[in-house]
Amino acid sequence: MKKVININFQGQVIAIEETAYELLKQYIDSLKKYFSREEGGEEIVNDIENRIAELFGNRLKLGINCITDEDVQSIISSIGRPEDFDTEYQESVYAYGETPFEQFASTSEQPKSEPDGSERRQTLYRNANDKIIAGVCSGLAHYFKIDPVWMRIVFVVLFSVLFWVYLILWIVLKPKALETNVARRLYRNPNDRFLGGVCGGIAAYFKIDTWIPRLLFAAPLFLNLMGMISIPFFPWNRFFDNVDFNWNINMSVVVIYAVLWVIIPRATTVKQKLEMMGEEEYIKSIRETVSDNVASVKSKTDDGDNYTKPYAATAAVAGDPEKVSLDAMPPEPPRFHAAKASANATAGSGNTGCLNALGILFKIIFFAFAGIFAVVTTGMMIAFLVAGTKFVPLKSLFIDQGYENTLLWLSAGLLFAVPIISIIVWIVRRSMKAKSRPVIGVVSIILWVVGIFSATMLGFKVAEKFSVESSAENVQALSAFSGDKLYVDMAVYPSDYYSFSRNFGPGSDLDNFPYYTINEDSLLFSNIKLQIVQSQDSLYYVRTISSSSERDLKIARKNAGEFTYPLQQQDSLLFLPEFFSAPISQGFRLQGMIVEIAVPLGKKIEIDERLDDYDNFTSNSSVRRKLKKSRNNKTFDWDYGEEYILENGGLNKTVILTDSI
Amino acid sequence: MNIENTQSQMRKGVLEYCILAIIRRNEAYPGDIIDEMKNAGLQLLEGTLYPLLNRLKNAEILTYRWVESTSGPPRKYFILTEKGEKFYDLLESTWIELSTGVNVVVNGNYSKEDTVVNDNLNEPNTTEQ
Repeated sequence: MKKVININFQGQVIAIEETAYELLKQYIDSLKKYFSREEGGEEIVNDIENRIAELFGNRLKLGINCITDEDVQSIISSIGRPEDFDTEYQESVYAYGETPFEQFASTSEQPKSEPDGSERRQTLYRNANDKIIAGVCSGLAHYFKIDPVWMRIVFVVLFSVLFWVYLILWIVLKPKALETNVARRLYRNPNDRFLGGVCGGIAAYFKIDTWIPRLLFAAPLFLNLMGMISIPFFPWNRFFDNVDFNWNINMSVVVIYAVLWVIIPRATTVKQKLEMMGEEEYIKSIRETVSDNVASVKSKTDDGDNYTKPYAATAAVAGDPEKVSLDAMPPEPPRFHAAKASANATAGSGNTGCLNALGILFKIIFFAFAGIFAVVTTGMMIAFLVAGTKFVPLKSLFIDQGYENTLLWLSAGLLFAVPIISIIVWIVRRSMKAKSRPVIGVVSIILWVVGIFSATMLGFKVAEKFSVESSAENVQALSAFSGDKLYVDMAVYPSDYYSFSRNFGPGSDLDNFPYYTINEDSLLFSNIKLQIVQSQDSLYYVRTISSSSERDLKIARKNAGEFTYPLQQQDSLLFLPEFFSAPISQGFRLQGMIVEIAVPLGKKIEIDERLDDYDNFTSNSSVRRKLKKSRNNKTFDWDYGEEYILENGGLNKTVILTDSI
Repeated sequence: MNIENTQSQMRKGVLEYCILAIIRRNEAYPGDIIDEMKNAGLQLLEGTLYPLLNRLKNAEILTYRWVESTSGPPRKYFILTEKGEKFYDLLESTWIELSTGVNVVVNGNYSKEDTVVNDNLNEPNTTEQ
């Protein structure tokens, strides 16, 4: 009693005894191994499978219910085992290569192809079959018998070092079409994709559900968004309360995905899908889709492309690894035409050495430029990063944490990263000669527009912070002192502070930017305008008008009132602080201050040159209104380091220097 | 010296010539070729034929087209290309040269040209036992 199973073999459903199936499976596997090193080996196996399918069909037509062991045995003996045609094979190569073909080749002026002994050794080539740029990684992977994706990851990670290695290998190595020599490979899965099929491919490779890699990729973003959306009743919120949009993690996930998208090839042919999913799974899926409608599949696949023919016969191969390994490795098949490509290459280098040298020269020049470009771009990126870190403390002065911060990163990422990534993708796809995919363009344009949109939103948000202006006024009378001259000097800020100014190289004028106190609790501004007016009585007065902008008048008013500007008076000496300070929580809101010294009639004043460090303040509307309101708003012109006397409704120098001196 | 090895070597040498001759006469699929060879008394394993056809195809000596079959998957029908025709002509002249020469040498007869030519026709069968 034997179990009979149905297999889908080359588009035919065939009832076969299980033992016969095992036999067939082993046989086809041995054929595969045998032909695996020959160019078009798969096609040969495919043809033989076709033939077997036909012989099966003939047998079943005779009215036999199923294929038995004997049937398989007789078919195998008619086709022959690899051991049987091995010796013939070697000789055929000899005969073929030496006698008829040589003659033929010489007449038809074909490059002479000779059986290349060195080919038997493992040699390093660039893989012409499976390449992203030049096939170097793929060739290396072939040499080490690993999945090219791992090699590519190594090259991407160690880009700066291996870039030159890559170039050298590109120049030195010959291209050659290599067949994959690994059973399982990581592909992008076109049948199970959300974006590029990367997750689908990873899932297929590790035999897990697709949602697992997808979740891994999406989790950082998801967690972040959870944290950012401050829904009060959302109980989890407290876990993520202070989670900001984490640029580093989220962006690196995006970059990793993009890189994987580029370096992992898409499984297009059936063979690739087979390598991606593993044979059993693939057969399962094929069985589901194909077996009900054999005819339609068959006609579809008859269009001449052998490689896309349903490879269902590999059902015969799926199975025990033990059995496979027990099989003696069939003798190495000769490669006669496999040598074609390399023979051409050698012939090329022999015949047209001059042209070849020229080509190599061009390559070297091209790559020298490419290398310089790469170095420069890397340098620029690093420079930007360094410069960017300097701006980081500034950012918080304009941008609130949370929503606005997210907008900032989102727009920066989309506006800059999207064009860069799409250019890279375009170049890569061009060099791969991949079919153009308009989807990529559309998606990147949409993302870019989203970037513009969010940047605009952010712009409005930031601009809004400067929409209303308010000011606070404070008048302080100086205590009377003997003498009739007030000397105004600067009280230098007693401790260190962080400064932004003059750190950005030439051309940047950031003097107006505030400084930080050392413990980062307040901002220091030198945004002060000093002016002199006439006092209404016999006392000196100091009036300070602080002003600030905000999106809300109340806050602006409150902010303006929070400035500290301590005056110190020692008899006739008045010290004005170097900075006025505001709490750092205010952020940068165009804080400014007018310091107005009122001088009584007939009294003198001199302002020390050190106060020249004050920046001239362009008053906001609220301040202008305040100045207008005061009855005596006439300000005088004056210079630092000069003694003035207020008399006759004007401020006059006490010492008049004439040009003659 | 292994007799089988020598025999198969002899056979191998003419295999391509025979296959091309069959295909040249009529477009043929591998099954036809096997049958025809068998009928002529020439044993040929399909496992040998397929790689050979594949290599000839890769060398652009042969080309093929798919033909639907009632008894199974579609079949590859092989045809000689223009290059294949030239290739065949060369093989043919080589074969005539070879068989003539071999006969002359084997028979030790340097004068009777006509008998040699007659023997030619039996050549494929004489190498086959």
